[in-house]
Amino acid sequence: MKWLKWLLGIAAFAWAGQYVLALLLPNLAMETLYLLGDERYGHNQLVVAPVPDENSRQVVRPSPDLLYASCLYNLQDGALTIEAPVPERYWSMQFYQMNTDNYAGITNQRDERDRVGTIAKVTLISADQSPEDYEGEVIQSPTSRGIVLLRASAIGDRTEQQAALDASSCSPTAPS
Amino acid sequence: MLKNLSKLTAAAIITIVLSAVLLARTIGAGLNEMNLQNGDWVTSTATGTKDANIMLKATVALGGLLASAKKDSMYYRLSTIAGEPLRLNCRYRIEGTDYDANWWSVTAYGWDNYLIPNSPRRYSFNNENLVRNGDGSWVITVAETEQPGNWLPIGPAGAPAWRKLTNHDFDLLLRLYTPGEAYLNTPLSAPLPRVTREACQ
Repeated sequence: MKWLKWLLGIAAFAWAGQYVLALLLPNLAMETLYLLGDERYGHNQLVVAPVPDENSRQVVRPSPDLLYASCLYNLQDGALTIEAPVPERYWSMQFYQMNTDNYAGITNQRDERDRVGTIAKVTLISADQSPEDYEGEVIQSPTSRGIVLLRASAIGDRTEQQAALDASSCSPTAPS
Repeated sequence: MLKNLSKLTAAAIITIVLSAVLLARTIGAGLNEMNLQNGDWVTSTATGTKDANIMLKATVALGGLLASAKKDSMYYRLSTIAGEPLRLNCRYRIEGTDYDANWWSVTAYGWDNYLIPNSPRRYSFNNENLVRNGDGSWVITVAETEQPGNWLPIGPAGAPAWRKLTNHDFDLLLRLYTPGEAYLNTPLSAPLPRVTREACQ
């Protein structure tokens, strides 16, 4: 009967273990994405990705109907400024912390349609910095590292959206 | 003593592997209390938010990393029809009209969560590139072999088959960007495309 005790023990721990793994998985996936991206492209700079196809295997479930640009950020050395021309068709700038939470975002949709034709300028600061120290649109990241993802429609003529992403940037905020 | 240590190590390894398999099956089957079922389509309004529970966050980490929150986009996934997993040897029909969103698309993904390799390099249809009927309705045929009209090709996933832990061979993802009120407030009953299995070989 000793083997039965072992089997029951393994089954019980394996059942509980899936929840422990589930708890670790989001940070693990983001850390992997961050480390691979950092190694290949560096951080605190914007990288415009090619239109997704079957060879796009950096991030799961890429949309072939979207153009993407991303900035892996690390705020340990100070704030970052993200500047992006806002096109007419669907566009958004989403902020993700290292546990996968989409903690902030701006878009050209709904009540933000007045952004179309402007240049969105966002200062991204860490949790220990004060928004009052910065002018304009300020977003506070809950973690010092994370990912900013720009999405723009790739439906139909994508010239304007591609040009908008190509002209976007993510760089250390200049001292005022 | 040494014998006991080897037994414990073996048990620990088996436990970790079993935990990973259980988690993969739970996620692959969409077994999560935060999932909302609308027909065969499954969504969650907590995707990308701090309200997501650990299983939903794990699901997002494995199968939807960098998904945005519902006000920006909603995602409905379909991997089974009446409990039957989507198979490569079957032909499926997706029927629909238009949906209340800035734009929407239907994309096929392999079981590995990446776009499916196919020679026409067609991975999705969106609200603008579909060939429609006179009344604006449309039909997409999902199959491995070429079909007339809106053909969404499927085929083996790009990842090696030994890594497959899901029952389905591929799945369909409906994206609704800037979704309307019906999707935000009543996602269980909001209008969605109808997917049926036409034939299997």
